Amino acid sequence: MKISLNNKNIEVDPGKSLLEICRENNINIPTLCYQEGLKPGGRCRVCLVEVDGKLVTSCTEKPKENSKIITNSEKVLKARKMNIELIMAGHITTCSIDKDAHDLCGMLEEIGLTGIRFEPIRKYKEDLGSSVVRNDNKCINCGRCIRTCAEIQAVYAIDFASRGYNEHVAPYCEHNLADVACIKCGQCILHCPVGAIHEREHLHEVMEVLKNKKKHVIVQTAPSIRAALGEEFGLEPGTLVTGKMVAALRKCGFDKVFDVNLGADMTIMEEASEFIKRFENGGPFPMITTCCPGWILMMEHFYPDLIKNNNMSTCKSPHEMLGMLTKSYYAKKANIDPKDIIVVSIMPCTAKKFESTRPELETGVDYVLTTREAAKLIRFNKIDFKNIKDENFDPALGIATGAGAIFGATGGVMEAALRTAYEFGNQKTLEKVEFNEIRGMDGIKEGTVKVKGKTIKFAVAHGGANNRKLLENKDKYHFIEMMACPGGCIGGGGQPPHISKDILKKRIKAIYKEESNMEFKKSHENPIVRKIYKEYLDHPLSEKAEKFLHTKYTKRSQF
Amino acid sequence: MQILEKTELKALKKARNLGPKKTISLLNKKGLTGRGGASFPTGKKWEFALKQKSKEKYVICNADEGEPGTFKDKFIMQKNPETLIEGILIASETIGAKQAYIYLRGEYENLKSKLEKTITKVIRKAKTKVNIEIILGAGAYVCGEETAIIKSIEGFRGQPYLKPPYPPVEGLYGKPTVINNVETLTAAAHAILLDNWNSLLRLFCISGDVTKPGVYELPAGIKLSEAMKLAKPKNPVKSVYFGCFGGCMPYKDIELTHDNICGEDCVSGSCTMIVVDNTRSIVDLAYVISKFFAYESCGKCTPCREGSVRILLLIKKIRQGKATAQDLNLLQELGEHIGQTSLCGLGQSCTNHILTSLKHFRKDFEKELR
Repeated sequence: MKISLNNKNIEVDPGKSLLEICRENNINIPTLCYQEGLKPGGRCRVCLVEVDGKLVTSCTEKPKENSKIITNSEKVLKARKMNIELIMAGHITTCSIDKDAHDLCGMLEEIGLTGIRFEPIRKYKEDLGSSVVRNDNKCINCGRCIRTCAEIQAVYAIDFASRGYNEHVAPYCEHNLADVACIKCGQCILHCPVGAIHEREHLHEVMEVLKNKKKHVIVQTAPSIRAALGEEFGLEPGTLVTGKMVAALRKCGFDKVFDVNLGADMTIMEEASEFIKRFENGGPFPMITTCCPGWILMMEHFYPDLIKNNNMSTCKSPHEMLGMLTKSYYAKKANIDPKDIIVVSIMPCTAKKFESTRPELETGVDYVLTTREAAKLIRFNKIDFKNIKDENFDPALGIATGAGAIFGATGGVMEAALRTAYEFGNQKTLEKVEFNEIRGMDGIKEGTVKVKGKTIKFAVAHGGANNRKLLENKDKYHFIEMMACPGGCIGGGGQPPHISKDILKKRIKAIYKEESNMEFKKSHENPIVRKIYKEYLDHPLSEKAEKFLHTKYTKRSQF
Repeated sequence: MQILEKTELKALKKARNLGPKKTISLLNKKGLTGRGGASFPTGKKWEFALKQKSKEKYVICNADEGEPGTFKDKFIMQKNPETLIEGILIASETIGAKQAYIYLRGEYENLKSKLEKTITKVIRKAKTKVNIEIILGAGAYVCGEETAIIKSIEGFRGQPYLKPPYPPVEGLYGKPTVINNVETLTAAAHAILLDNWNSLLRLFCISGDVTKPGVYELPAGIKLSEAMKLAKPKNPVKSVYFGCFGGCMPYKDIELTHDNICGEDCVSGSCTMIVVDNTRSIVDLAYVISKFFAYESCGKCTPCREGSVRILLLIKKIRQGKATAQDLNLLQELGEHIGQTSLCGLGQSCTNHILTSLKHFRKDFEKELR
């Protein structure tokens, strides 16, 4: 199909939207409500272009034969500017303009908006959740959070309420987000163009604790942080910053820096043993992984039958396991009163914040920071992150295997568990450790492996909508890994924003690069794991292990 | 009145004998067009839906008559519901739909039980497989827009979406759907049955500063002065509003046709006329109408959601005597902007009244400036 774009005749694909066509031709069109992978909404009306003299939104418009499209006429620029002015009139008063953080404030200069002729009118209360905080005064009603929650996550926790200028985003029946069936995955945060949704910050509490000389403050970082933290400091997506991260955190004043990958190894020891136990007893199947607190909430809200039927593994998530070990095993070894130990987890996740408040976990973790908060902390301490010299994790609980490292990517938990379960079950060495069929960005992945002559079917899903889809045929499988966020933890709700599929792929690549650098590839080969079991826990699923490393679940309301 | 003639299932019988294709060509020949405002040829709409190959099809009768000053659908539903229901059955059987809905305006709840009884009665007599269900709106003006009706019936927020796909191709639950206004469907039964059916007759709703407000059946193209003779205004007429969204026209004795009204920068819509006499200020009317649109905007797109309330606030400022000439310019700019960039028909026409009254009665506004 031929069209004229800014007086240049070009050949285009009729299935693409004008916005996509413009971007392919290096024409920048500002947008607020458009998001790759979601149905276009046509709500913000900032992406206007002129088609044969008429103003249309380029995100929703498909090209027509021989149409004349102009993207930079005075009419277009004026209309865009007016819409931004109308939007800003509602948003500005509560926004501390941070050009890099928000799409909206970042585009003001380009649009050329200098003054706003309207008074602010929005008056909403802040919705303080345990993980996610919403401020409707900053909100510009683009609906990306709502579409993300519905189309990608299939949770439907929020929607628009009221109409006209009173329209605003609200959870079910205008309750607080904390009181409704929200899985706290934080995907809405990643896609908000104005910063109206953010995590419940633990940053200031952590900074207070760091000042307290009496406390022994330990930080532990999740597998996926090292593949994404660099982005906050202007490094290319997919840059591994393990050494810099450890060095910077130490400089921030943490007494010890531990690696959650070790917790991941512990999780695998317990989970693989649990699976083999079920395998020998003939069920119940499928057994479903429990590392992801977003998925756990989804299950408790929408699929409580999985608790009743004992489909869920009872393992705590890796950072909770490591937190417990820090406060018991490590405290004893280092001769510190557990009461004086503060454990701070740096997680790619907002649901972990909620998880750390669960009463049944008798939590080992005191505070959870997201990747973004960690970056803020490093910036507050004026650390030159790009040029800091690499350092290593503290050895006491800081040595991990490649199996623990790949927890950050979708399919990683399953792959790590299979490596150990195979050897536990078959009592022989697994030669090829890679399970390529469950790597990559496909929504649902599956495969089989032989244990003691029997075929084990396993499956992996990531993203709430895919989780729901997989659950429809769950009985086909023996072992299922679920992750609430697309891409697994590397795409978590606490990660640096502006996520695209491309960036996720780069982060995953970095995770597997980290794995290839590791000496050991299987969790049960980790010398520290062996030492912990020898000195403290006896063996996987022992009475002590059950007490410290396992948990239970609660049925929650669907609404 | 032609619209009140009872067809007593003879029209349905005739349509059954003719078969779908001939029924549609008969409607095309008689020249029936939509009476909801857009004047789209009814036969063509049905033909699009007939051509679609789908097991499920739907007919929706749009009875969400929300336009201020419009009450003709209510009049039909009260006086001649049997023929309306016959019209719905004809439409359903012609395109092959087994389920039809009447989307009734929330404020017309009192009509519901009587309508339901009539439906049962007519369906029993007609021996049809078509099922008709009444769905009560929840009081949103925008749900008179066809795509918003679809969303509302499906159980979503009643907000319009972008066409295409048009409803006759992909409508309710993604299936071919014909959406017609109450007057159109009633007229369809008449057009099929009556040999001397007059396609020019329209229902005019006249209200405002007149002593005899009401529904008048008049031929399209009648002079405004003739209509005024019937409605008998109290004082000299200053202007006529064609509903809230149609815009205002200073009194001028034009022939009331679609093209003539458009020539005056207005939209004829559903033949609604709100008469305003010379005792009133246009600014007061602008205030009331702006309040209506700020409240009734669905909130989906920026210009309509944020813009309509800004217009209201500006007019409030003007009435308080605090506004300057700059504010008046801003009002004009916003009016044009909202019309050009909004998503649906509501947003695109919600500032017609501002633009036309600024054009013809700017002095009324300027008088109240600081």
